[in-house]
Amino acid sequence: MSLVAEAFVSQIAAAEPWPENATLYQQLKGEQILLSDNAASLAVQAFLQMCNLPIKVVCRANAEYMSPSGKVPFIHVGNQVVSELGPIVQFVKAKGHSLSDGLDEVQKAEMKAYMELVNNMLLTAELYLQWCDEATVGEITHARYGSPYPWPLNHILAYQKQWEIKRKMKAIGWGKKTLDQVLEDVDQCCQALSQRLGTQPYFFNKQPTELDALVFGHLYTILTTQLTNDELSEKVKNYSNLLAFCRRIEQHYFEDRGKDRLS
Amino acid sequence: MLLGGPPRRSPRSGTSPKGPQSSTGHVHFGKSPQTWPRRTRPRSPGLAAPSGVRGSTQPKRRDFPRRAWLTALSRYGARLWMGRRPSLPEARGPAPRSAAASRASRSLASPETSPSPLPATTRGAVAGGGSVQGRAGAQKEVFPGQGAGKMAAPMELFCWSGGWGLPSVDLDSLAVLTYARFTGAPLKVHKISNPWRSPSGTLPALRTSHGEVISVPHKIITHLRKEKYNADYDLSARQGADTLAFMSLLEEKLLPVLVHTFWIDTKNYVEVTRKWYAEAMPFPLNFFLPGRMQRQYMERLQLLSGEHRPEDEEELEKELYREARECLTLLSQRLGTQKFFFGDAPASLDAFVFSYLALLLQAKLPNGKLQAHLRGLHNLCAYCTHILSLYFPWDGAEVPPPRHTPAGPETEEEPYGRRNQILSVLAGLAAMVGYALLSGIVSIQRATPARAPSTRALGMAEEDEEE
Repeated sequence: MSLVAEAFVSQIAAAEPWPENATLYQQLKGEQILLSDNAASLAVQAFLQMCNLPIKVVCRANAEYMSPSGKVPFIHVGNQVVSELGPIVQFVKAKGHSLSDGLDEVQKAEMKAYMELVNNMLLTAELYLQWCDEATVGEITHARYGSPYPWPLNHILAYQKQWEIKRKMKAIGWGKKTLDQVLEDVDQCCQALSQRLGTQPYFFNKQPTELDALVFGHLYTILTTQLTNDELSEKVKNYSNLLAFCRRIEQHYFEDRGKDRLS
Repeated sequence: MLLGGPPRRSPRSGTSPKGPQSSTGHVHFGKSPQTWPRRTRPRSPGLAAPSGVRGSTQPKRRDFPRRAWLTALSRYGARLWMGRRPSLPEARGPAPRSAAASRASRSLASPETSPSPLPATTRGAVAGGGSVQGRAGAQKEVFPGQGAGKMAAPMELFCWSGGWGLPSVDLDSLAVLTYARFTGAPLKVHKISNPWRSPSGTLPALRTSHGEVISVPHKIITHLRKEKYNADYDLSARQGADTLAFMSLLEEKLLPVLVHTFWIDTKNYVEVTRKWYAEAMPFPLNFFLPGRMQRQYMERLQLLSGEHRPEDEEELEKELYREARECLTLLSQRLGTQKFFFGDAPASLDAFVFSYLALLLQAKLPNGKLQAHLRGLHNLCAYCTHILSLYFPWDGAEVPPPRHTPAGPETEEEPYGRRNQILSVLAGLAAMVGYALLSGIVSIQRATPARAPSTRALGMAEEDEEE
């Protein structure tokens, strides 16, 4: 958004309190949504839970096209639509709720850096696995991605998306990577996260921040999604403190609220 | 390269025997990096005067005061190191041993061996010791007599040549070069401006001692690490995790903007980037290669930032620059008042951050919005100049002369150019006139007997033709 529009939007956003009927849109949970989108959606849900803001999850087959930036999930609050975790965090901050206010400058820098690490490595690895690994593509991704559409649209859309993702992978230098190298990168990323987390309950000690939400979203999805092989989740399972972290957030923010959003 | 050899030998006599023993893992002892001699030569005369320590012409670059080893030494050494050339031959003796030990144990404090040489050689060995830190690079310089032929072949690095006050104008090349300097890896650096000359077709490229060619910068650094030139040896696990995180931050937030500033922004591209590349590359590459590189970068940027419609481009640009400014501010906050990101010794993260920042700071860009923001972050500017002066001192000095010399040939060419122009015009005229005369288009009716027969003959030839 341009600076003027942004200032305008944040002013409007700040004016209204968080409504009760805020909704989060994602793709169909059972048949359509993919690993990476599920992770992103879960991260946003976790973040909003941590901020104590009520949100209703609505599944639509065309969520990707409804979204203003083309990425899911997006939230519809009042008369605004905001997509992706970064802008949502800023939007929520404009409304006066923030998880990272208590951090000092250095910690904020670290938080942003670690969020970028997750986006750079974990998310890209998930995309690679979904779209560039032939076994997964054939068995899971194509079928799921095209499920709401009739033939031949399902094939066409799936191939189009795959081609686009492959181009992006090549642009960032992941095109030549093998699956093993990608899993190595995931391992490195998990190791970095595990070391940063250490024995603390959350990344910045007592209070969860958006980084915790993001990491939870990705790790939980990796751990609970059935893929053709379990190598990805095995890599995450190697780090017990990450497992404990996921369980802690799940128990505290999702099950305690009474509604099991993670079905 | 053994300039510093002889003077060093004397002080070292006591410690040299230690060297080979400690070099269990360090086979780089005898290797003398080709790049060093250049720098050390002018310095050695001045240095030889003080103690034997100064006699060592090892450029300070080689030493990276890693706190690990000799805690006390390193502190002292760091100070010494900052100021001058640490002479490390003595220190090298114990250092490699401790290096091997600490490498095995991965513990940060292993000063047990280091203090020992101190009493023996009261030199700035301290500096040497401090700098040794787990880096095999330390060994390389000091013991010229040993195993000069141990390594199969030195590693060769091909990278873009320098410009704008920097040792290299390309981001990746600069990062790899800086890392190599930090760790003192004995690389033979070929600074070329023709990417087709490199073994892999792209720059930077590293040809390892086994003949293998690596061209992805991260892989080059991983290879150097494997060869025991590890700048991250002393980092704690958490700092290693921070390194990964900040490198991701750089790649996601700062890289697109850097690419945009240098290659996509029209004014910058035409006046600075393309000009440099076109001047540096040999004929006929300079005609099409810069344009091709620009197209590649543009495509990469478009893919990275996702699909966007043309009218959103300006907004996308603003968004990119805003994120980049935020990223720079974050880096500044993280650096704080420290010398390097992880204390007193440079790590691989410093190499990458330095390469991004140095390019932004040094190149004289007409459209420098990000540059202006960066200049406002004083600790980052100081950080850049510090590294530049410490590790690339002569590179900064090298640049002005090349700038003058191109002017020289140009002015020299000028008179030749003019002369050639005049000569060519005269030659053309002479040819035309001669042809005209010889073929009878123009006949000179003069009363000179010499001329007459030819014209008559010509005239007769014409008559014959007409008939």
